[in-house]
Amino acid sequence: MLKRPIEEAAREAGAEAVAVGLYDYEGGTSWDLHGDRPFHAASTMKAAVLVGLADAIERGRFAWEDRLHVRNRFFSAADGRPFRVDPRNDADEEVQAQVGRTMPLRTLAEHMIRTSSNLATNLLLDLVGVGAVRETLTRHGVEGVEVVRGVDDERAFDAGLSNTATANGLVRLFRLVEDGDLKAETREAIRDVLLGQAFRSGIPAGLPAKARKEARFAHKTGEISTVQHDAGLVYLPDRAPYALAILTEWDADQTDGRRDLVAEISELVYHHLTDA
Amino acid sequence: MPERALPLRVVDGFTLPEAIRAALRPDEVVKDDDGREVRLPRYFYEVPSWARAQEVLLAPHFGLWEFVNTDVREAEALRGWPRYVPCAVTLLAAHLEVLRDKVGAFLRVAANGGYRSPAHALDAGRVSPHHWGTAANIVRTGDAWMDDEKAIETVREAARDVLPGVWTRPFGEAPGTTFDHLHLDLGYVVLVPPGADDAPTDTDGDA
Repeated sequence: MLKRPIEEAAREAGAEAVAVGLYDYEGGTSWDLHGDRPFHAASTMKAAVLVGLADAIERGRFAWEDRLHVRNRFFSAADGRPFRVDPRNDADEEVQAQVGRTMPLRTLAEHMIRTSSNLATNLLLDLVGVGAVRETLTRHGVEGVEVVRGVDDERAFDAGLSNTATANGLVRLFRLVEDGDLKAETREAIRDVLLGQAFRSGIPAGLPAKARKEARFAHKTGEISTVQHDAGLVYLPDRAPYALAILTEWDADQTDGRRDLVAEISELVYHHLTDA
Repeated sequence: MPERALPLRVVDGFTLPEAIRAALRPDEVVKDDDGREVRLPRYFYEVPSWARAQEVLLAPHFGLWEFVNTDVREAEALRGWPRYVPCAVTLLAAHLEVLRDKVGAFLRVAANGGYRSPAHALDAGRVSPHHWGTAANIVRTGDAWMDDEKAIETVREAARDVLPGVWTRPFGEAPGTTFDHLHLDLGYVVLVPPGADDAPTDTDGDA
């Protein structure tokens, strides 16, 4: 029922590929379209870093209020040589302004999600460790989200090392946040950060104005030259939430209609789930 | 009792609680990257609180807080208060004051860029002059960030001019170089303040 309109919308928008993953807690039902096709994860990988950080905190490695030195120097996953996050590619200037100082882990996590700070992401991933994030995802059964490096690591990108995600993998990740086997306080802490997302052009934009106003969205967008994604949990009044991942791939030269397509698919899913 | 203007207690590292002692490793002989044996500091200023660290000046333009501002990678026993900083940190502050006068702008020491203990995870077991409180990582001078060759080499040249005995790292990405701060250090200097001896502690000046 959803497959045809989504594929038509993607074709009309000019997307090269689209995938959708859905889990509805109202009836306990799952659905996907190309749900196991891997895409460049773009910034949706930051949700995985957040889960890895929260898991490390749950296991006693750190505390949310611990402070971390803000330093713009990282080591490439490709060759171990240092690189910097380009401030021009970073939507968040506040973390950049704190270079040389320290910030609490919770605040960095909020910047990583709310305004998609690349610098905050790399700082947290550097602290927690790529291996630890991957181990967290494996231990909690989150297949389909592959974190292999930080953001803005151009040499790793050139070497073919990129973070990837499938729609089903991201749904698994957000289901871990909603009712997975992390402690309730850990899941609540993750959800609180995700609910602070500032970018509303993806899944939220697809809901009718009244529903959007009443809903809450714990989600993470992702955007680079060739992909436009959004994935997260949608909380509507008077019904159980749903986990939704919308992944789209584009020719780098086509810049129009990307966010509109993600919103349109979100709208189709919303009506499918709520129209009696 | 000798007089000091610095309102901080001097403590003998051997008298500190075991967890703190294990992180500070007072008077322990270690080997640096060149295989030389060097002795870690034994005497420390006790910093009772962050508020006190912000109040106390080690030099006219350098607060104690800049040299004890570490992060989550510091040993857990040293992340609370009181904290301990080797007495030679006063020499570092005095040198930085001279450099500040030369540069004509404030110098900002990075977090983790003043004193950090031998247990700090950043060093992964390697010996660093930061463990003596005699090294500083400067990330900013006035409005200029130390993040390119010109900025780093300008301040480095100023340091070599007025502090010829001080060692600085050149700009670069290779080991032993830096590209996001200016590293400056006095070497492995141990300072035993007048009045400090083998007696347990000196409580002089504790406000």
